[in-house]
Amino acid sequence: MALIGVRFYSLWRLHCGADSVTLHADNIDEALAQLEEKYGSRLREKLEAYGIHLEGKIQDYSLILLNGITLRNLKITDLQEGDVLHIFPPAIGG
Amino acid sequence: MEGSRISKDIVRCIVESAETYNAPDGKNHSVINLKIVASIAGSRRISAEEVEITALKQGIIPKRYLRNIGTIGLDGQIKLLQAIVAVVGVGGLGGTIVELLARQGVGHLIIIDNDCFTEQNLNRQIMSKESNLGEYKTIVAARRAGEINSTIKVTTFLERLTSENAQKLLSGAQVVADGLDNLPARLAVEHACRCLRIPYVYGTIAGFSGQLMSIFPDDVGLSSIYGSSNAILEQGIETKIGNPSAMPTMIAAMEVQEVVKIITGVGKPVRNQILLVDATECTIDRIELRR
Repeated sequence: MALIGVRFYSLWRLHCGADSVTLHADNIDEALAQLEEKYGSRLREKLEAYGIHLEGKIQDYSLILLNGITLRNLKITDLQEGDVLHIFPPAIGG
Repeated sequence: MEGSRISKDIVRCIVESAETYNAPDGKNHSVINLKIVASIAGSRRISAEEVEITALKQGIIPKRYLRNIGTIGLDGQIKLLQAIVAVVGVGGLGGTIVELLARQGVGHLIIIDNDCFTEQNLNRQIMSKESNLGEYKTIVAARRAGEINSTIKVTTFLERLTSENAQKLLSGAQVVADGLDNLPARLAVEHACRCLRIPYVYGTIAGFSGQLMSIFPDDVGLSSIYGSSNAILEQGIETKIGNPSAMPTMIAAMEVQEVVKIITGVGKPVRNQILLVDATECTIDRIELRR
């Protein structure tokens, strides 16, 4: 299993209660499952307290990059030692 | 500016009209004031912008730009006066962008928006007032830019930017600044800017956070964040947490700084990385992007 870093930004950092964490996972799906288990419900509960209701899992309402590229564009989903996941909410207003 | 239109007589007139200004640091600057610029432009039938550029080329600073010169120099101010910048959307971000670009002395602004001010804009959109609700944002912004800086030229388009008209609307611009509020329009701007080979300064807001990056034609861009498929988000978490008063101006100011850096060549634009600004904890993070 690869040891990877996970970094939270902006509102997610505030509500997940951590700047960054490490976890062991072989691939993206495993990493996302761990993140959902550790932080998904916590994040949704914190936001619910502000009247913000989010549906789905953490990956459904977050922008997630692996080493600077969105998961949506990844061709290979296996993780390597030292990989970094960046997770933040979509901010699209103006 | 057409150099051939500026006769030696006009140059002499500008030089003779200059006065000395004693700056707080004790240094003397040769300056020219607003009324003299307007007077020379009127009597010699040239634009005020041409008068200002000619003055700067002689080392004479239009007083309105005196506090700009220490950072961008005379050449930087000349480049700004000769520049054309498009601002797409003049709501929270775009209103402040227009305001600051006019003050900075960008010579020609293209303002694009088909929306009108509503009451819910009042908390954050700097051009909106109780007295102009219902007016076109583009018209209000153009009027405001002219009130701030009558030297600059403003072109307005009362149109909604789409993938069909983006290249036509942005044609001629040297840089495009983002005042939009949805992803499809931003993707249309990015695509048009790549086709036109011009930089696009991307900025977004949601709650107490915002994002910024400058995308040059061959740079990594929005697909690294949002993906390349058609199944893209239209809007983000701002639909749930709103857009409070300070964030638009914070991100807009950073966008304007990017535009100034790109045009003058001073400093280093935020390229191939995204800045994530969080006002809750006063942090700015950078993520290097890849294709």
